Amino acid sequence: MMKKHTLKPVIVAVVAGLLGSYAHAANQELPDWSGVWGMMGGTVFDQATRTGEGGSTTPGVREHPPYNAEYEARYQANLALRDKGILPDPNSLCGIPTGFPRIFNLPDVYEFAVTPREVWIIAENGPNIMRIYTDGREHPPEQDRWPTHTGDSVGHWEGDTLVFTTVSLHSSESGRTLVDRTGLMLSDAAQATTRMGIDTAGRLQVQLTIEDAKALTAPWVVTKRFNRLEAGTRVYDYACNENNRNPIDEETGWTYTIGPDGKVIDKAKEQ
Amino acid sequence: MSRKSLVVLSGIVGGLTLCCGAALAHHSDAMFDHDSTLELTGTVKQFQFTNPHTWLQVVVKDESGKEVEWSLEWGSPNQLGRQGIRPSTFVVGAEVVVHANPMRDGSPGGAFVGAKFADGKTVGRWN
Repeated sequence: MMKKHTLKPVIVAVVAGLLGSYAHAANQELPDWSGVWGMMGGTVFDQATRTGEGGSTTPGVREHPPYNAEYEARYQANLALRDKGILPDPNSLCGIPTGFPRIFNLPDVYEFAVTPREVWIIAENGPNIMRIYTDGREHPPEQDRWPTHTGDSVGHWEGDTLVFTTVSLHSSESGRTLVDRTGLMLSDAAQATTRMGIDTAGRLQVQLTIEDAKALTAPWVVTKRFNRLEAGTRVYDYACNENNRNPIDEETGWTYTIGPDGKVIDKAKEQ
Repeated sequence: MSRKSLVVLSGIVGGLTLCCGAALAHHSDAMFDHDSTLELTGTVKQFQFTNPHTWLQVVVKDESGKEVEWSLEWGSPNQLGRQGIRPSTFVVGAEVVVHANPMRDGSPGGAFVGAKFADGKTVGRWN
């Protein structure tokens, strides 16, 4: 009897605590990330980790992840192809998601939809939608995972900051994805921890800490920032194949230009 | 090409690479010479207000008087629409002067920079 009397309040307290915790999570006042946002800084990941001026299509611009020798050599090879305009980039093929982390490094605009159980990253330039589960679930066990463009993301709120981890990503070696237009690569061992929140200047700041035991010698910490655009700004669909007049030559990687008659007008292949 | 119809403008391209490289981020823009700008005088044939890029089709007479259709690539309709550009911005048959970064191989195409209409109105970047 003594034992029962002693435990009862403890059990009640634990159950009440769990219910209270759940109720807190379910009813937590979520931050206001409504509206439309524009990415700052061009399509490079982080001003602090790049050299050169201009966008990521500009020769001379590169990022500096802490690559090991093998991946640095691969990146240098990609930069050389980029400088010639023949880097094979799946993003140019239309219809293929850029995936994570590149989803935070796109032109056009963004929406960040915060709901009690999920956060959705919706990029106008697409197809690019990323789901982050905040309902308390964990990543699937290893045997139930397979690589995808955006991987599997689960997270939680620390005040107004969303913290999430991402696993199960396509390797850049798969040919399905590149991390950016300069030719950044990650292996199938890549995973990330991301912190998202509004900074003191009112910008949505996304700090990614990317770890990759096969490609990096240390975590690669990069930050993207987004400005909230004028209220009422509209977002449109992005049907990349609607009128794509820039097909890629599979052999050379060259981007052709299609003329008004549907035929290639440039002579670059012969040059 | 007629000098009245097609003029190479040098020295007015400062800052254009940043402008148009971003607009054409869907693909490499290595085919365009961003260090050179052409001035084309012609007639609007079509304005394709489509993704992933808009295309202005302009008919320009060459030196022999032959009409040549130029294909000038601009930003996405989404980007441009938020900046006030509309499908009706270029009316078929309108006389227009266009600045563009030409294709490196001399093909009748380029990256659109800006345009000026007969009434003096301009769109895009016009210096």
